[in-house]
Amino acid sequence: MKPSGGSRKREPELFLNRELSWLEFNSRVLEEALDGTNPLMERLKFATIVASNLDEFFMVRVAALRQRLQDGDERPDQAGLTPAQQLSLISKRVHEMYGQLYHVAVEDILPAIAERGVRIVRVGELDASSREVLSRQFRADLFPALTPLAIDSSRPFPMLTGLSLNVALLLAPAEGEDQARLAVVQVPGRFPRLVRLPAGDGATFVLMEDLVKQELRELFPGQPILESAAFRIARDSELDLDDEGGRDHLQVVEEELKKRRKSQVVRLEVEEAASGMLLDTLVARLGVRPEDIYRIKGPLDLRPLYGFLGLPSLDDLKDRPFRPVTVLAPRQMENIFDTLDEQDVLLHHPYDSFDPVAALVERAADDPDVLAIKQTLYRTSGDSPIVNALARAAEKGKQVTVLVELLARFDERSNIRWARSLEEAGAHVIYGVRGYKTHAKICLVVRRGSRGIRRYVHLGTGNYNERTARLYTDFGLMTADAQIGEDASAVFNAVTGYSDPPRTRKLAMAPTMLRERVIELIERERRRAEAGQAAEIRAKMNSLLDEDIIRALYDASRAGVRIRLNVRGICCLRPGLKGVSDSIEVVSILDRFLEHSRVAYFRNGGDEEVYLSSADWMPRNLDRRIELLFPVEAPECRQKVVAALEAAFQDNVKGRRLQPDGSYKRRRPAKGEEPFRSQVHLQREAERALERSRAAEATSFEPLKTPEGLGGR
Amino acid sequence: MARSKKLSTRQQPEPPAPPPPPQTVAAVDMGASAIRAVIAEVAPGGAPRILEEVSRGVLLGKDTFTSGRIGAATVEAALRALEGFRQIMESYGVTRYRAVATSAVREAANRDGFLDRIRLRTGIEIEVIDGSEENRLTYQAVKEKLEGHEVLASEGALLVEVGGGGADISFLRNGEPIHSGNYALGSIRMRQSLASWRGGNDKRIQLLRRHIHNIVEDIQREMPVSEARDFIALGGDVRFAAAQIGGDARPEGSVPAISRDAFIEFVDRISMQEMDQLIERYRLPVADAETLVPALLAYQELLRLTTAGCILVPDVTLRAGLLLEFAPDREGHGIEDYGRQVLASAAALGEKYHYDAAHARIVAHLATRMFDDLRAEHGLDRRQRLLLEVAAILHDIGNFANVRAHHKHSQYLISVSNVFGLSAEDMAVVSNVARYHRRGTPQKSHLPYMALDRDTRVAVNKMAALLRIANALDVDHVQKIKDVKMVAEEDSWVIEVEAAGELTMERQAALARADLFTEVFGRKVSFREAGMRP
Repeated sequence: MKPSGGSRKREPELFLNRELSWLEFNSRVLEEALDGTNPLMERLKFATIVASNLDEFFMVRVAALRQRLQDGDERPDQAGLTPAQQLSLISKRVHEMYGQLYHVAVEDILPAIAERGVRIVRVGELDASSREVLSRQFRADLFPALTPLAIDSSRPFPMLTGLSLNVALLLAPAEGEDQARLAVVQVPGRFPRLVRLPAGDGATFVLMEDLVKQELRELFPGQPILESAAFRIARDSELDLDDEGGRDHLQVVEEELKKRRKSQVVRLEVEEAASGMLLDTLVARLGVRPEDIYRIKGPLDLRPLYGFLGLPSLDDLKDRPFRPVTVLAPRQMENIFDTLDEQDVLLHHPYDSFDPVAALVERAADDPDVLAIKQTLYRTSGDSPIVNALARAAEKGKQVTVLVELLARFDERSNIRWARSLEEAGAHVIYGVRGYKTHAKICLVVRRGSRGIRRYVHLGTGNYNERTARLYTDFGLMTADAQIGEDASAVFNAVTGYSDPPRTRKLAMAPTMLRERVIELIERERRRAEAGQAAEIRAKMNSLLDEDIIRALYDASRAGVRIRLNVRGICCLRPGLKGVSDSIEVVSILDRFLEHSRVAYFRNGGDEEVYLSSADWMPRNLDRRIELLFPVEAPECRQKVVAALEAAFQDNVKGRRLQPDGSYKRRRPAKGEEPFRSQVHLQREAERALERSRAAEATSFEPLKTPEGLGGR
Repeated sequence: MARSKKLSTRQQPEPPAPPPPPQTVAAVDMGASAIRAVIAEVAPGGAPRILEEVSRGVLLGKDTFTSGRIGAATVEAALRALEGFRQIMESYGVTRYRAVATSAVREAANRDGFLDRIRLRTGIEIEVIDGSEENRLTYQAVKEKLEGHEVLASEGALLVEVGGGGADISFLRNGEPIHSGNYALGSIRMRQSLASWRGGNDKRIQLLRRHIHNIVEDIQREMPVSEARDFIALGGDVRFAAAQIGGDARPEGSVPAISRDAFIEFVDRISMQEMDQLIERYRLPVADAETLVPALLAYQELLRLTTAGCILVPDVTLRAGLLLEFAPDREGHGIEDYGRQVLASAAALGEKYHYDAAHARIVAHLATRMFDDLRAEHGLDRRQRLLLEVAAILHDIGNFANVRAHHKHSQYLISVSNVFGLSAEDMAVVSNVARYHRRGTPQKSHLPYMALDRDTRVAVNKMAALLRIANALDVDHVQKIKDVKMVAEEDSWVIEVEAAGELTMERQAALARADLFTEVFGRKVSFREAGMRP
């Protein structure tokens, strides 16, 4: 049972602050950008991820803390830090991070790329003819889109879009005045940030803001420009972003509050070259606090550099192309229902390809015996084979129910477009569950076989998205287990509002049951330890924040349960505390693929249990989301999950270990120890498994049972 | 797999016919606090295999039992729930379903409009069933669930389901319901009657207990509650109690049983808790929490009167009973069973009024024999045959009140009594048929008769015509006539009897009571003994 909030003891020494823990995570990403053993373009990619992560962090987390400060809310968090203390620690840590990030980007990565002929140059460095070409282009395309905004104290400061690029400039004082005047030009976001020069060897780019700066005189004719500098602000986004880039609407936000928050600038990035006078004027008008100013030694907003990964000439500087293996033979996918009648199928993406999942939905669409398909779609693309198959199934008159989570992506319009097309095909489309975000990934196929109705279920830790299935590590389970099928139906009935929340037997659903179930399992392990049995918990997730679960883990540790956690991102649990968490070890893997699967393992006195889940152990996921926890019961499937889980704890290349003080220490191979990189290991294991099954197939002879077998098929 | 099947058919010259594929069916039940549905597969010879059970809380009872009609918001909620259920039914390719509504809909003033909207918006046809049909369906499921259980051999077992609108109670002997009825112990009704009570919880419970006690006293006048040695309880509230008390330490598939003392103690304890505590502690929806205590108190009061040492709480619902109706090989079997139960219950009612059992039996036998021989003439169905049989059993119970004009007393007693499996409309037919077993034939001035619709009046006339003759054939109550046959001759019907002894009285009586027969069937009647041709 969940203890009520009021009666909970405050023990700040037992918890890590979530914001600082997140910054630790981002600095592990940065570490990958710094790591010279990574291919250059991968390092660039990590650098852009660090930058984009920070943008979100300011818009969401820092903004919320600022708001609390402004509201006079000084309550400390579970780690005992007030909002003011947290903001000051954040500022300090982020300033360091900016230093490292720009150092590696400007001094290391960009020069190395320039050696390969891809360079960013200043407009001033170009020869006259190139400048002339650019200037003509500017006047034709860009000039009409620019609005110069002169700022004076009688007018309110213009509402600049968050995260947009702007140029601030100082104009010489007007006749009879002695103060320089501030003006702002917004750099339109719809033009590419990197402007490629038409001619020359390799690829030469100039930055859009540089170009704008060169042409300012056109915008302010007859007014002497003293200086100019690019800047960028971050505002409260009013959105809560989740680990998959989806967003939550904040609960009840009053209109007034909204406006106030909108005007609040939570970070100012400005070119380092800006003079004190320009900066002071700008800061005064924006109302930015000194600790929120970041002077940038290089291009603002590194995210557009990600575009360089698309240049074919740099392909050799990336990770080796990677091919997922397909665990099922084409014949098995063709007869996917027969396959699942015989065995459960466990997929570990991206090592295992997503094809069997697509095959399930596609076969379901075309099989005349299939009556219904029900599926959640959280983030997917319009051209996905799954969406196409669902539409086809609906057109064929099958009952297709799709639960679409519209809050999932920024490009809601495209989401709505394909959702509408599903509706037109005759599918029953449900746009979310009021008050909850549907995060569970589940697909249910109802089929009438010769012995009656059978249900086939796919459950996953990741989205039905072929693209991310190649980039994120996720597990998927395909099964015809009757009880899971029954539970899956019940879950759909609940989320579609057809039925009140069900009592499920094998699946545990948030917000009703998931936390309780996890705590029960942890407590069962604790009781086993107390009874003198060997007891062990292993778990993997993206974030660990939930206080009830953390306390349950502490209790288990005190009882002597061995606990090993693989938490990629935020971890508020403090490992290695005497008498609290001595037996808890926490690692984090940052590597090529984004670790995304959620797994829990319980030794259970030798009768091992393995669960997969869509949910992180965070209050948000457990209280405000529809999430699922499901068991992996087939021994060979369970074994595959356990082996993958174990690999992370052996990783001495990309693994980091959380220290009691909240910092992370990168693991290195000990003397005489072989380097072990879990993602590479798992990739090889997947290839080996495929070879084994091919070999097995090649040496076994399948008897042909009917004359048909001799024919073409 | 499919391929091997083809080959094997060639090897075997005479393949056994493949079993027909299971049918997917659904049962929907609109109760007082929720609308529920179950989807199942039925295959010949097997128990229904449940595919899915869904439930949506819709407080129909709260509306009907307070204001007499279903409010707009509740109508909308019900429509939404049923729309969803229809989607689910479609996703399983359900071919047959039966959707029923009980007292919360039955008693709503706006029920016709409500059912019409359901039909238009969801395409689901809801059938409003009465308490007796509900009883019958549920009893059927209980019997299925408890098959082989010793409680079905008990001399006296009380079967109780406290619902939102009323309590269905049956007294079973050897597993057959001999008394049964619906009583004013509905948990929602009880709760509503105290809704405005502002006093403390203790006093509220006291009032509830007193109310329940009074009604249970009435029930005892109708059935021997205190003779029950076993107690079977159905319903969500008692299942909840069983789950709370029993934990889960019982073998899979067995019927949960909780001890008498544990149950009484649990109800005492839970009735002392305030509503908020119940909701908090047991995570109950408000609607469930509100009816929990009234319902459990009713079970408790009834249990106390019996000598049962424990309560059996089989997981049986009205929906399970509906599903059994779909099981292909159960249909006929079910009806015979049902007929036997109805007759046993009628006989128990007869006993209560000290009827002449032998006379009742022979009159019933003779009346139904005539009914069967005249099938082509009267065009009545099996159910009406059963009603005739019940009327024959009960036709004389009015003697209990007074021998004079006893046919009128019979009519009254039957009209206010319960017979297991028969609805109030059924009982109106039975009581009218019984009334006309002697003396005057139906008249426009007879109010209970005129209260029937035209078709029913015609049927009553036909049945009464047969009962009058059957009764006359045992005018002495000594069962000289053992059997009868109706033989058609040119322009008359011959009553051909098998008998021992002298039959002057019987002949005279039969011909005298053939008045209605001649009027209804349009032919003269004559009388003869079997083997004696004129």
